[in-house]
Amino acid sequence: MPEDLPAPATAADAREGVAPRRVTQFPVGVDYYPIDAERASYSEWYDTDVAADFAAMAAARISLVRVFVSWKVLEPQVGQYDDAVADRLDAVMEAARAHDMRTIVCFFADDRMAEMNDVTWARKRDPRTDDYLLEREISLVQRVVNHFRTEPAIWAWEIGNEAFFAGFASEDALHAWALAMRDAIREVDTARVIVFGAGAETLVRESGLDVRPTRDVFEYGVSRVTAPYRAYAAEGPLTYGPATYVDSFVLRAGGVAHQVLADGIGVHTLDVSVAEEAAYTRTAMYSALMNRASGVMLRRWRDVETERREPYYQDPFEVLVGVNDVTGRAKPVLAEVSRFARVAAHIDLRRYTPVPERAGILVPAERYEPLPSLAGLYDPRSCLQAYIAAKEAHLPVRLVSEGEDLDGLMALFVPSAAKLTMAMWTSLAAFVQSGGSVVLSYGGGDADPAVRELFGVEFLGDHGVRPVVSCRIAQPGLVGDLTSFDVRLDVPHYALLGSGGATVVATDATGSPLLTAHQYGQGRAIFLAAPLERAIAQSDPWAAPDAIRDLLRTVYGSVARAAGAGPIIDCDEPAAEVALFQGESADIVVVLSHSPVPTTATLTAERVVASVTDVRGGAAADVGSKAFGVPLEPNGAVALRLTYA
Amino acid sequence: MAADEAASLYQAFVDQDPASAIQVVERARASGIAQDALFDTLYAPAMALLGGAWASGAIDEIAFTQAAVVAEQVGSFVMPSAARRDTGVTVIVGTMHRDHHSIGHTIVAATLKEAGFRVNDLGVDVRPSDFLERVEETGARIVIVFAEMMQTARAALRVREMLLASGREDVVILVGGGPFSADTALAREVGANGVIPGAESAVKLVSRVAADLVAREAGEG
Amino acid sequence: MRERSATLAAAESLARQGAIGAAVAACYEALAIDHRDPLVRALLAHLMLEGDFYDEAITEATAAIELDPDCSPAYLALGLAYDRRGGMSDQSVLVWHELAEVEEDLVTAHVQLGEAFAAAAFQDEALDSWKRALELDPKEARATYNLAIASLKREGMALALPLFRKAGELDPSQDELFFVLLGVRDRPAEPVDPAAVEPNREARLAAAALALRDEDLFTAAELVRLTLDEVADDPQALALAAYVYLKQEATNEAMACALRALSIEPTLDTALYSLGVVYARRTGLNRHAARVFIALAKQAGGQALVHVLLAESLLGLQRYQQAGRAYRLAVRLDPACVRARFGLAAAYLTEGRYAEAQWEIRRAAYYDTKRQGLFWRLYDRYTSGGDV
Repeated sequence: MPEDLPAPATAADAREGVAPRRVTQFPVGVDYYPIDAERASYSEWYDTDVAADFAAMAAARISLVRVFVSWKVLEPQVGQYDDAVADRLDAVMEAARAHDMRTIVCFFADDRMAEMNDVTWARKRDPRTDDYLLEREISLVQRVVNHFRTEPAIWAWEIGNEAFFAGFASEDALHAWALAMRDAIREVDTARVIVFGAGAETLVRESGLDVRPTRDVFEYGVSRVTAPYRAYAAEGPLTYGPATYVDSFVLRAGGVAHQVLADGIGVHTLDVSVAEEAAYTRTAMYSALMNRASGVMLRRWRDVETERREPYYQDPFEVLVGVNDVTGRAKPVLAEVSRFARVAAHIDLRRYTPVPERAGILVPAERYEPLPSLAGLYDPRSCLQAYIAAKEAHLPVRLVSEGEDLDGLMALFVPSAAKLTMAMWTSLAAFVQSGGSVVLSYGGGDADPAVRELFGVEFLGDHGVRPVVSCRIAQPGLVGDLTSFDVRLDVPHYALLGSGGATVVATDATGSPLLTAHQYGQGRAIFLAAPLERAIAQSDPWAAPDAIRDLLRTVYGSVARAAGAGPIIDCDEPAAEVALFQGESADIVVVLSHSPVPTTATLTAERVVASVTDVRGGAAADVGSKAFGVPLEPNGAVALRLTYA
Repeated sequence: MAADEAASLYQAFVDQDPASAIQVVERARASGIAQDALFDTLYAPAMALLGGAWASGAIDEIAFTQAAVVAEQVGSFVMPSAARRDTGVTVIVGTMHRDHHSIGHTIVAATLKEAGFRVNDLGVDVRPSDFLERVEETGARIVIVFAEMMQTARAALRVREMLLASGREDVVILVGGGPFSADTALAREVGANGVIPGAESAVKLVSRVAADLVAREAGEG
Repeated sequence: MRERSATLAAAESLARQGAIGAAVAACYEALAIDHRDPLVRALLAHLMLEGDFYDEAITEATAAIELDPDCSPAYLALGLAYDRRGGMSDQSVLVWHELAEVEEDLVTAHVQLGEAFAAAAFQDEALDSWKRALELDPKEARATYNLAIASLKREGMALALPLFRKAGELDPSQDELFFVLLGVRDRPAEPVDPAAVEPNREARLAAAALALRDEDLFTAAELVRLTLDEVADDPQALALAAYVYLKQEATNEAMACALRALSIEPTLDTALYSLGVVYARRTGLNRHAARVFIALAKQAGGQALVHVLLAESLLGLQRYQQAGRAYRLAVRLDPACVRARFGLAAAYLTEGRYAEAQWEIRRAAYYDTKRQGLFWRLYDRYTSGGDV
């Protein structure tokens, strides 16, 4: 059991816009759903051996548990609350308290089985917008919050989830509802954290609603790879390729000024083997730790007992798969969770801080445009591919929304965007002028006039679709160690470029520039003539040509390193993600393999490393040089404490 | 020597004389050329000669076709041995009771058969007692138990318990399926001696186990 | 014949040119004129599917079918969207079943129906669907690949491998490899006239290659013969001869010519190709085939199909992991290589990696249907009232 949980922000902090104290701990949590069998009725809400489950959770080093309030069973008739049912929630808290665990109490989460919000007396009025129902919701929330006002087992209140919020017709309506709920809680409880229960990136995908402004008024957020988001962004094998990066990608999309729980970690379907499930979950948990999450929450405690399925049957739902089987016995994934919790508990985030990210990937504003603009569909995928390329280049990297401040960044990647705002072009020019480096890949359409000055190229037109990407190196070594190639990959656009002062670094097979570099002010502006990030995303990202991935990785890596946005600890294995946490007398490096085969990553520090120790303890291994090898199991991860000579 | 025989074989093809062609092959075998080497040392050079003769016009199109027919007839004499040698090792394979996942065990069983093992495939939904029964019937020393679900994987312990209860502690149990690949400790918990991650490794592992058993017996003897 | 607005016609035209963004915008304009036109919805569904935006495709295709339950192109888009999204085989079975009824002779509907059944673990129904597809078109490679996978699941690799090879030979990509090695990409505009060919080696061999590309084996053989009559030890001519015999199913003659060619020039890729294919047809010669394809991979390692051919030989040698690596390399070189996808699925199945195998089969379907341009066939038939 970790010593302390995330510190709750005070109501005063929230009101005055003061950033809450950063979490000094990294809780590992789980969603504890009220019903675990398809045949069960909604009325069986938490009508189970709660104490035994919490004991098992505690044994597995789980310290945080999300529990779900059921409006339907608590208020079966208007204004009449069922105290007998409410006692079950008391039992949950008692069980949590018994093991010194904390809970997040979630209101108004849609769930496919327990029908928690379907109050029969609502008569089909919409609980999101109907004034009367809103009143009843506030009453319910205040009743529960008041009841547990002094309950030490509750760490946070939470409102909604993706399924519930996706039902709103407008951002304004959602904002109004969320604020009403927040205020209702604050009236009764001024101390505890309030969590906004959906990730902005997933929600905009599912509903078209941009809830970033709403999310930002809450102290805490979540990032969750929902089933529709996975189907959109990373539908494919789970133990390599984009699937292993998508959890941290949506986490990074949660913004930097915000505390975000990496939520909903786990697989969605029963057709993956328990081995894949364990490997994937390990990857997601470690990548959360490595990418500034405030903690991790697993998707479900126990598998849902489903109707008999055919063997190998694929299940479409996202709430079925837990860390225990239907009998309540642990699956291999739970052992992974415990091991991870132990590692996380050994990394004291008060003493070790992650290195700042000096490289950024720009998420264009067009990403929020509705159809018929396709940017909202293309851009997140392009950004994910750019994120993977940056990770494979071992850059500490974050996502930056268009319009956000670029302070602190030294390199910025703009992947395959169709258009940027005037303000962004101005901001980009100022960024490069003052020493930043930009890599921008052409995203189709007419190039903005700003391209000419910033990138030093004359845009002559779009050559359109090409089935083959060819690369011939004109200036070896200028932007990393590039090699010539011809590979089959459909690129939707190819910018025809004329000379405008930039150096042509590489061309296609017939000499049309593919990659140019331009010194602009104190910085460098790199132009890629084809939307390679989008091309990878729109083909099969699990089988993207190595040459294209190498090109992107090399360009990103070389530009960022030259700009001072490179890693402090470098690595020779693209599939190994590396995160460094710096301390006073020692550092901690976490290495995660995104590969399903065993591999060895050679890490190179800037100083001579004296010794390496597993953070969980054990004997120190003497190194005595800057470089050392780290063997990694398939999808394996290690956390090492480094001391320097 | 081999070149001469290849020339003779070529001549037999051109002469449309299968009997002579067979004699050439038998002579080559008698001279010590292994069956697996006949194709490369004898047949392929003869065929190259045949191709050359056609190219140069030494034989015409019809003669070429007729020679090819003879070559076809003799082909089976020079093919590397098709079936792997019978290893004499019996292996019992099945998927656990209440588990209907068949693909894993089917592919492994077929691969082992092809590799010369005497496979008793019990299919899916196999009770622990059925494994024991077949062990007693065949005297097999190697059992491969498959399971794709956690409950059925854990239930594999029953197979070990039954074997022990019947005094068959000498039987080697190997396990396969997702749960065991995910957690090798689980294999130990159910009393298995090893995990089979796939069909190719099954052949390697079973061969090694079989060799160990033979070595152990030799030591005991 | 359905009436189409000028806006829809413009959207169609843009869509056919692959200008997805502009086509989507035009569709929205068409919807502003008539939001109840199933054609626009079907076209939008197709466009969304082109970009792999499954949920959007499902929404639009469903809307089209609600507007007109006979809108076959919408069924196609809907079924493909369900299949590609994964985990929706229940819905997918219904859609393909419906489409197979509406468009009885649409072979792909039966193939897809089989794959949807297989994904839902209804193996017998799946087999029936693929057999029905083969009744409609005995050369349907994907149905045969699926039968090979089904055979692997039920009987193991030894029985599945011949089916993989059979499917491979139905797959036009194998001949394509030979012509890539030969450096001949396009069919000749006009048939090759042997009398008009310059009487020298280069001209004759080039013309023979073109004739082969045009499937005119007789002319090719004649030109090869003329070349060999001048120089009997010409390896290129012998390699062409080997291919001519191979296409005539005269495998021993092909072997003789290829071996002769290689005895003169041991690394000649076209001769290696024909010899490897001949060896691969004989179950006892997997090791030999693998050796030849390894040599070919050294000469033409950038060609996906070379690695596929090598992988198939490795499967025959029970070297499944090595085969898996060769298949993965092939998929990286050419993600649209259906044969490599199915082979990789087979390799995954031998390692118990079922979900990944299923994914490869889905990707194979993705590329196979994309290549065929089925949507436009159904769309045109639908717009013309079924007369096309």
